[in-house]
Amino acid sequence: MTSKQIITPEIHSLIDPVISNLKRHQLIEDKDVALTIAKLLMKVISVSKWSNPQELIEIIRKVGLIIHKSYPRKIIPGNIVRRVLFIIREETIEEEDNINSNFPMMSSMFSLLTTNKRKEDQIQVAKPKEKTSDLRSIIAQGIRELIDEISNVNEGIENMIADLIHDNEVLLTPTPNSDSVLHFLIKAKTKRNFTVLVTENYPNDIEKSHYFVKKLAEHKIETILIPDSTSYAVMSRVGKVIIGTNAVFANGGCLSNSGVSQVVECAKEHKTPVFAVAGLYKLSPLYPFTKDDLIEVGNSGKVLNYDDYKLIENVQVVTNTLEDYIPPDLIDIFITNIGGFASTFIYRIVLDNYKVEDNKLD
Amino acid sequence: MAPKLKNKQLATPVVKGKKGKDVVDERFQAIVLTDSFETRFMPMTSTKPRCLLPLCNIPLIEYTLEFLENSGINEVFLLCTNHANQIQSYIENSKKWNSKSSPLKILCVVSMESHSIGDSMRDLDNRGLIVGDFLLISGDVVTNLDFSKLLKFHNEKKAQDKDHMLTMVLNKASPLHKTRSYKDPAAFVLDKDTNRCLYYQSIPSVDGKKSSINIELELLEDAGEDLIIRNDLIDCQIDICSLPVLSTFQDNFDYQTLRNDFVRGVLTSDLLKKTIYCYISNDSSEYASRVESWQTYDSISQDILSRWCYPLVPDMNLTEDNSYSYEFNNIYKEDQVVLATTCKIETCTCIGRNSNIGEGTIIKNSIIGKNCQIGNNVIIKNSYIWDNSIIGDGSNLNHTIIGSDSIIGENVQLFPGSIIGFNVKIGNDKTIPPNVKIIKDGDNYEPDADIIGEDGEGFIYESDKEFDDSESTTTATESNTGFMYQVKTLNLSDDSINSFTNKKMKKRNNHKRRFSSNSMMSENLQFESELELEDEDFHKEGLATVLRAINNNHDIDTALLELNTLRMSMNVTYHEVRLVTIQALLHKIVEFISTDTLLPKEATTKIFSSWGKMFKRQVFSNDEQIDLLSILIDEISKLNQEYNQIVLFISVKVLYDLDILEEEQILKWWEEDKSNEQVKSLLEKFITWLQEADEEESEEESDDDEE
Repeated sequence: MTSKQIITPEIHSLIDPVISNLKRHQLIEDKDVALTIAKLLMKVISVSKWSNPQELIEIIRKVGLIIHKSYPRKIIPGNIVRRVLFIIREETIEEEDNINSNFPMMSSMFSLLTTNKRKEDQIQVAKPKEKTSDLRSIIAQGIRELIDEISNVNEGIENMIADLIHDNEVLLTPTPNSDSVLHFLIKAKTKRNFTVLVTENYPNDIEKSHYFVKKLAEHKIETILIPDSTSYAVMSRVGKVIIGTNAVFANGGCLSNSGVSQVVECAKEHKTPVFAVAGLYKLSPLYPFTKDDLIEVGNSGKVLNYDDYKLIENVQVVTNTLEDYIPPDLIDIFITNIGGFASTFIYRIVLDNYKVEDNKLD
Repeated sequence: MAPKLKNKQLATPVVKGKKGKDVVDERFQAIVLTDSFETRFMPMTSTKPRCLLPLCNIPLIEYTLEFLENSGINEVFLLCTNHANQIQSYIENSKKWNSKSSPLKILCVVSMESHSIGDSMRDLDNRGLIVGDFLLISGDVVTNLDFSKLLKFHNEKKAQDKDHMLTMVLNKASPLHKTRSYKDPAAFVLDKDTNRCLYYQSIPSVDGKKSSINIELELLEDAGEDLIIRNDLIDCQIDICSLPVLSTFQDNFDYQTLRNDFVRGVLTSDLLKKTIYCYISNDSSEYASRVESWQTYDSISQDILSRWCYPLVPDMNLTEDNSYSYEFNNIYKEDQVVLATTCKIETCTCIGRNSNIGEGTIIKNSIIGKNCQIGNNVIIKNSYIWDNSIIGDGSNLNHTIIGSDSIIGENVQLFPGSIIGFNVKIGNDKTIPPNVKIIKDGDNYEPDADIIGEDGEGFIYESDKEFDDSESTTTATESNTGFMYQVKTLNLSDDSINSFTNKKMKKRNNHKRRFSSNSMMSENLQFESELELEDEDFHKEGLATVLRAINNNHDIDTALLELNTLRMSMNVTYHEVRLVTIQALLHKIVEFISTDTLLPKEATTKIFSSWGKMFKRQVFSNDEQIDLLSILIDEISKLNQEYNQIVLFISVKVLYDLDILEEEQILKWWEEDKSNEQVKSLLEKFITWLQEADEEESEEESDDDEE
């Protein structure tokens, strides 16, 4: 079957605007991306025609592939697609299991939470017509839960604050663009007094870092903005490094802003603990085999001035990387909305939320 | 209901500015000029329009359309002239632009008769498609500008200045920046505070022969405190225009180019009183430029590969069938590219789908199209190879462009600046000298087996055989620009050949000039023979026009319009017009006198008082008043001596009364002009009277002062 037959014009008209937004990098905020994709998939499921779950899975995979291709370096759209696929697969497996009246194995933590609800639906299983419409609503419910989870991600993260931050501690954050880190710190202020050092993140996030510092100061948190180059010098005084993430891979490594890598290396020298803050939706079932291919390279104009002709002429390549890959051994704890985990444990959480067969969408 | 309302708001531009951009965004129109009416991309543009030439393996027009779509513009008019059918079918066959979900509504407007941008604009105005402010952009723009900022700037200026007519987008660069046009660089005189453009001056070529601009002081009168004169801007021809732009083109049907004619015309016109503003982005990550010559083609290609225009980069995959991915050092590869193990892909390279690169081949700073076969041990540097080309083993390409479906044999040497057209075949072991262009079909050109080989297919395209000159310009440019080695210099020389050709062609075509589509240059290039011929024509026609008007008692406006039309079509100055008018008037006076219908005095009063008003729109400056007087006296002195004094006296008096001639100028002229004393005797009285009046006045004034 070609993609043309599966992807009807209605679906195309739904995904095209999202795709062009992704392509133009207008959809940047991770949370926005996640929510947009989740809502998009919900719409796709409601407009698409399918008689059995296998077909639906096929459609979602195709849509996922199209979305992925529009911005291959962005990990989150793929995560959301796989999460939705997971929801669909969970439902269908259960139904099959129910038919065979085999009780499902407690294979994952997710199913632990979802099984009891399903028992009431058993009666309807026999009738195929009703089954699809029923499945449709169950899946929609699943996606709605996913959307809730994404939109309330910061609340989940905040729960762990008291255990992690001590009074009068000095924290360093090299990711001032992270919304989660901002909320985390502001919430922490309600329970603890501490000082935050924020790196400037020149050139790409310098405005965001100013905004970040301002926000923290408004909440009466003692905040110091430091140049990126001084992170090693201040590290001896820092109690904890808190980083935001763009994506977390199954091996426990993660993608974060450019400049974070050197900060965590400094932290390693000083044996300073590094906490990575990540919503569950940032967890990806993929392994970072080719690290260079994961990193987005941005506008060269931010690094050098385009009108400086004499300089530009003599420069071979100007590279403005937007992201850094952080290997798992440099991160001590991932703080997610479902709890804190060591980087070595990430693979297990990935297994709880994704199906292995969806790792490859094509 | 709703759409009606929208239209209403759009129709009145003032409302728009105040109500914010939400209303404007509802429906914003853009005009894309797909034809530049230039010949800079010859011979490639002989078979394919410029906007469909591939830039980084994507047709140029896609970049412009991407910008428009990104800007939230929803109606796009593609103005097509040359190769209109190709552009039309491209848009029709494009999945992206043809799909229902596409936010852009693209309409091809074919105007085959257009020979210049001005013609296209007039044609568009006649069709009445444009309803409000619109974006005027050429089909070869590459930019990642934030349109909302630009629109905000435009609306702000519009609210501040009701005469605001046009906002031009300029990009900061440096005078010798590689992306800046070497072909038509221009200096802008701007008001420092408001960014209002006060004067525009194109500087002929970058070779430094002309280094000054002349600005009339008058233009600076209403300027703010500080002026800046900038010669470091890239003019990317993105303009937000208000509706009067179209009507201005309509009124001034001699306007051909957007900048040299229109912008200059508007800025220097005393009548229009419209203002133009420039938007210069301060964000270092914003990029805007135009592919308007091979030189900028080269530099913009490299800029895109070097991610200056991010997020507009190859791995954004603008068109659906692209699948580029980025690798470090700015290397871009599509799916199914086959690279031999020993080949070396160096920095800033882009390779299209299904291309094969052979063993030992080195590629640097180059773009390879789709389905290309590159042999073994080939060296490709700073070159652009378009789709489906085959390059034989051991060839060496440097600063060249290879058109689609070409075949280059083994061990071919291509020297810098050479351009191989579509479907050309070049035999083994050949050497293509610098700046040679080869095309597939050339009826008028000579086949040259020495260059393309026995089994080769193609002809040498020579715009002109002026190689000595072009070489000398090359060296001149090189010495002047110093460090700027690379394709620029060579392409630059290529450009100068081109401009030279234009001149040459004009000389040859002489009279056909206006009708040949490819020589729509500015009017700077006038040739005497042409002038004389046209002068005579104009003289005859003009005289007849004015006489006809007088005889048939047309109203003055009609007569003026006819005369003006004639002036523009013949391309003569106002001096000629005045001369013709005076001759016609005098002719009529003589007719009255000789037929004894009227006495000299009455005849002159009658004719001049009713028809003298014509000079109101022929005489604008002080110098022109003096010119008018000189013409008058010259012509009158030729008349019968019996009455010529009276005629002169009366005519000057009438013109004075009509406020066409000012006292000061008459006196000034009187002082300077000492010829034709005989005729002047009667006029002297008038002058004396004027002088006395003047003195009295000044006395009175001084009296006032004393009090």
